[in-house]
Amino acid sequence: MTQFHLAALGFSLFAAAAAGFLTCGSLVRMLMFLELMLNAANVVLVALKPDAASQAYAVMLFAIAAAEAGVGLALILSLAAAFRTLDPANIKELKG
Amino acid sequence: MILNAAVWGFGGLAVLATVLMIFQRDSVKAALLMLAALLCTACVYLALSAQLLAVLQVILYAGAIMTLFVVALTVTPAAWRDRPLPASLKGVLGLAAAFVLLAELLKLAAPLRSAAVTLGFSETGTLELARRLFGPFVFQFELLSLVILASIVAAVSLTARRRA
Repeated sequence: MTQFHLAALGFSLFAAAAAGFLTCGSLVRMLMFLELMLNAANVVLVALKPDAASQAYAVMLFAIAAAEAGVGLALILSLAAAFRTLDPANIKELKG
Repeated sequence: MILNAAVWGFGGLAVLATVLMIFQRDSVKAALLMLAALLCTACVYLALSAQLLAVLQVILYAGAIMTLFVVALTVTPAAWRDRPLPASLKGVLGLAAAFVLLAELLKLAAPLRSAAVTLGFSETGTLELARRLFGPFVFQFELLSLVILASIVAAVSLTARRRA
């Protein structure tokens, strides 16, 4: 096994999540795919340099992912309550 | 040998669960597939000798973040949830874009073909990780607490405005 194989695994995960992000029709599902993309980036980070420094960065990325999920879902729930839909195609105005 | 098989097996399962998520129409089943992908990733971390990350992956991603998604799916009325995936031009273009992205990333990673990796079980202790986090990375780590505080305030203010 080479580092290329480990990177290919992470990149496949990232590309599958990106495909889902680009094709799905729901804001909640888009955020789910976004989390999976961040997860794939974490996998590549740890797989390509398996030492304590990269794992420390991965721990920080976990915290960022948690913060992102919290704010993202709060935003989505606010948008959904205002527009009565979770379909991004139906949300065209972002006037506060 | 067994660690190689574990990385390939669980990594492949994670990719498979993510691909199945795209074609799953039921949102709750999609959330369960995401949970499967996250747990498989935790197993990949374990095979890469990142034991603490595997535990954090289960607690944070598969626990806390998945709970948030399930709550979000529960509180939104079923009528607002996603419609069946239309086989539109947008979908085809999205998949094509993802394939192009994958091809470019693999092309960029081509120099790594010569870097051999031998996976062996080792222990990355929490003490070593803590030394890094509170040593050279202390500024970034403390900055993260501000990010999390800001996200808590933002989430509370957004939902409070909605309730009012």
